[in-house]
Order: sequence, then structure tokens, then C-alpha cells
Amino acid sequence: MNTLVTVFRKELIDALRDRRTVVIALLLGPLLFPILFMGLGSFAAKKQSEKFEKALEIPIVGAEHAPNLVRWLEGEGVIVRPPPADTDRAVREQEHAVILSIPASFPEQWRKSEPARIELVLDSSRALESGAVVARVERLMAMYDREVGTLRLVARGVHPALASPLAVARRDLATPESKASLQVMMMPYLLILLGFMGGMHLAIDTTAGERERQSLEPLLATPVSRTAIMSGKLAATVTFALLSLVLTFVTFKLSTLFGTDSKMSFDLPTATAALTFLVVLPVVLFGSALLTMLAAFSKSYREAQSYLSLMFLIPMIPTMLLMVNPVKTQLWMLAVPFLGQNQMITKLLRGEATTAVEWSVVLGGGLLLAALFWAIAARLYHREQLAISA
Amino acid sequence: MIEVDNLHKTFKTKTGTIRAVDGVSFVAKDGEITGLLGPNGAGKTTTLRMLYTLMKPDQGAVRVDGIDVAVDPTGVRRRLAVLPDARGVYKRLTARENIAYFGELHGLDAAAIAQRTAKLADALDMAEILDRKTEGFSQGQRTKTAIARALVHDPRNVMLDEPTNGLDVMTTRGMRRFLGRLREEGHCVLFSSHIMQEVAALCDRIVVIAKGRVVAAGSADELRAQTGEPNLEDAFVKAIGTEEGLSA
Repeated sequence: MNTLVTVFRKELIDALRDRRTVVIALLLGPLLFPILFMGLGSFAAKKQSEKFEKALEIPIVGAEHAPNLVRWLEGEGVIVRPPPADTDRAVREQEHAVILSIPASFPEQWRKSEPARIELVLDSSRALESGAVVARVERLMAMYDREVGTLRLVARGVHPALASPLAVARRDLATPESKASLQVMMMPYLLILLGFMGGMHLAIDTTAGERERQSLEPLLATPVSRTAIMSGKLAATVTFALLSLVLTFVTFKLSTLFGTDSKMSFDLPTATAALTFLVVLPVVLFGSALLTMLAAFSKSYREAQSYLSLMFLIPMIPTMLLMVNPVKTQLWMLAVPFLGQNQMITKLLRGEATTAVEWSVVLGGGLLLAALFWAIAARLYHREQLAISA
Repeated sequence: MIEVDNLHKTFKTKTGTIRAVDGVSFVAKDGEITGLLGPNGAGKTTTLRMLYTLMKPDQGAVRVDGIDVAVDPTGVRRRLAVLPDARGVYKRLTARENIAYFGELHGLDAAAIAQRTAKLADALDMAEILDRKTEGFSQGQRTKTAIARALVHDPRNVMLDEPTNGLDVMTTRGMRRFLGRLREEGHCVLFSSHIMQEVAALCDRIVVIAKGRVVAAGSADELRAQTGEPNLEDAFVKAIGTEEGLSA
């Protein structure tokens, strides 16, 4: 135990004197992530409201065939533009989100009161860029359709309500927390990643780095247990990861205080933040243990770095899967590393209730994994090759 | 006292197995300086690594003050000061912090560490560099720091792998005086070197190693008698069988 504390203290002092480590672990991560995250959120919100509130500009092909429709559209605030020479190309290259095309058959069909065909030229694979504009145009066309339909019924002495047998209304159960969907989707991943990788630099430096600088050999020639040495180094790694995580929470919290945009703003109540931190805690433990294990396995700083950089991908997998295929949380999922934490944080951020069973599964699973990685790292530390550098 | 009995160690590489140490036996007594002399690659470092329990011998036994390394490696390490081939001092710590770290690992309290540090700094003539970070130290300053760190717990047995490697003349002379003092204090000093003058000037007993085997052992006079060469340098060369890898 004394050894553990001695090693722990020395590694912390050593790391804190390395300006690069401090800047990367304690300043860059905790500052960069929330800024990027919040900045991206408000940028997306701005873009979105621009799409919804900016005046629509629609090129119309064959506007002369439906002067009434064009006039009505202009009355709704639409700016009608002359059509480009090649409509299909203009849409494919997204010069225009959508182009309205009125065929020559329109006046004839209109006069006969047949459904008159008009075309919206759009590219549905560009939903992200033009989806909002297309939806607005479709809504306008539906409005015009209903208005004219109602007038026709009234002209024939029929009550227009007869043509609307249903009155569908929406009752939205989304909580303000669950509405901030981009944040709810990204936040678990960011927190898990930070907890998982926060100690990366220290894990490499204290094991592979010490090996490369050839100071591991004299260290292992002292009469202290190798498991205690490894555990002390691991404790320093965990401490750094925790420090960086706490700072991240603080900056997140601060950034929510400055968030002014009401629609996309994202509140992080202190109680939720504390519970979320508790979920990430086992990730910090098994992440740091895994990194120490891998670093003990590699011969040099650089080799360790290339292994550990790959680890960035692992926490992404469940998040990606959930984006593609959102599933209802099952209890067993909470035991799966990364997936469990992801689901649990999502629940917390959405303001859903959590049970004691869920908590014990998600925390127990993480701690068990941490113990396993610790045991493997301890075994690796007892290998003869460990101390022999080059 | 260090007793080495018929040590063997082989390494597997891609090109085949290498017999790094192939039957090494010798005794290093208290109050004496014993030198392991051999060309580069003779197996000196591997032998030392087995003595300070970093490597397990494939065969053979090592006893330090009567304790078998295979039975109680921790007890053996407690009785050893080790200066490995790689000095490995921590760059971001000062010399004093480097020494204190190892002192704490050996279980010494702060007062004992301070006292030992002062004594070793005086003996190694390194008082003025004690509170500087070791980054930017010269080879000699690094070696001194590493030796002080290794000796902080004042063990009876001292093992040094090429202690004068890369040192200038003045520092080398200081190092010889320091090793002489350890002998006077009754320590068992074992060091390896590929420099003949070094070994000849310092050692009470010389163990000549080549290709993983002990090819000659004894005092300088005994070696001259064994080989029938009146010149010590010729005696070494004759014992090793080649001049390759040795420095005068």
C-alpha cells in the first residue's frame, strides 16, 4: 500500500511537470469538447431556423399555365424565380432545393375539375440540406389544394366538413430534455470517450514511456511488488482521467448557462450531472486499466500510441449502432461496456426514471471489467521482457 | 557476498537460439571489488540481470548473502544496490527527488533519506547538482544520480554495469575512489567492464567472460601466472582468445 502511494505521488508530480500532458489532458479536452459541442448545437439551430423562416425562393417551370397558383404563392410570401435552363441538373447540384414544374396539360385538367398534375423536382437523398425547404413547399401546395377544394364544394352546395371525416391532433409527450436531440445523442458518446481516453497520455507515459526511457529496469530492481508499482501508476492514470472529466462537466455546465437559444438550449441540472458522472466512473476505471494493459504490452511510446489511438473507435460502435437502429433498452444491454453506459446516460439526459437493478447492472458490469483488465495488466507486469528495453 | 553457480540463459530470436550465458560460476566476497571483464556481447549484462533477479536463469543458482534468488527474490533485491546498463533517471525530477523516490520504495523514512542523500552526495561530489532537474545532466551527473539512487538504502552488495561508461577522465577517477571507499566499508562490489585498465586498476578479483563462459578468474597476478603472459593485457587477450571487443 505504501508503495502504491509512493508510485502514485511520483507519477502525478512527474506528469504535472510535463506541460504537454497538462495542456492536453486538463485544458484542451475539457475546453474543446464543450465549446465544439455547444457551438455546433447553436450553429445547427441557427441553420434550422434560417431554413424555416427565410422567404422561400422557388423557380417555376411553366408559370404561365397556372397564373392563379403563382399569384397565390406570391401572396403567401414566396418569391417566384424564372426556371434554370436544366432543371434536373440544377436540383442535382443543389443550386435550388426544389423546382416547381407545371405541365402544359394543367389548364385543361383544371377546367375539367380533374386532379391537375404538377411536379416538384427534388433530390430526397439531400434531405439534410433541402429537406426543410421541400417540406415547406409541400405544405404550401397542400394548403392551396385544400382551399380550392373547399371552394369547389361550397360552390356546389356541399358542406366542406363532409370532406374531412377525421380531425387529427398531436399531443407531444417529449420533455424539454428529450427534445434537445442532437445533444442527447452526442453527449453520452463524448462523456464516455473522455472518461475512457482521459488517462491515455499518462497510461502510455508511465508504462511504455518509462520502459523506453529505460527507467523501468532500476525501478523493478527495487524490492517492491510489481503489482503495487502497476497499481500506483494506474491510480495516477485514473486520477488524471477523473480530473479531466470533472473539468469537462464543469465547462459543460458553464456553457449551458451561457446558452441563449431557447429551442436548442440544453440544460444539465447538477443532480443529473452527478448521476451521469457516476455512470462514467466505471468507464474511467476499466478504460485506464485497459490502456495500462495495452501500454505494458507495447515496446515503445510510439507503438503504444498507435494501439491506443485505435481505442478511440471502440466507444463509437454502440453509439453508431444506436443511431442506425434505435432499440428499446433491455436489461442485459446495460452490462455491455459502452452500450450500457450509453443507454444509461441517454435515460438520464432524457429525464427518464432509473431503477436500482439497472444501476447495479451498469455499475457492476463496468467494475468487473476494470478488475479483469487490472489482473491482466498485473500479469503483464510480471513478464521478464517488460523491463528489458531494446 | 554473491555466489554464482553454473548460470545458463538462452534467448530465442528469429534467427535461432542464442546462448547468452553458458555456464558462469564465480564468487564475489565482501570487502573486495570483483570485476567481470569481457568483450561486448560476452554475456556480462545478462549475467548481472540474473543476479539482480530481473531475469530467471534457465539453469544454475545465485545466492546473495546466502539467500537464493529463486526462493526469495525480494529479500535478495533488498540486499542489493543495482546500477543497470540503462541508468534511467527521471528527467522531470531533481536528483534529490530521484534518490528520495527510491528511498521511499525501500521503505525509508524522510529523515533517513535526507541523511543518506547528504552522505552519498558528499561521497560522489554531487552536492551542487542535487536540486536540479536531471534533464540536461551530463553522462557523469546522470551516472552519479543513478548510483546514489541505487545506494540509498545502504545495502551490503553493490552491482554496477559498466559504471565508467561514457565518463571523462576526472569523473572516472572520482568513481574509482568511490568504489574504493565502498570496499573499505566492507561492501561486496561487483562491476562489469570491457575496459582492461579499469579492471586491472581496481579489482581484487577478475572474472574474465567470453561467449557466455568464464575463461579465466583470479587476481591480476594469478591471471598472469595462469596464462604465462607477464603483461596483463596479453594475459586477457590470451584468455579471451581474440582482441575483438576489448578496450585498453
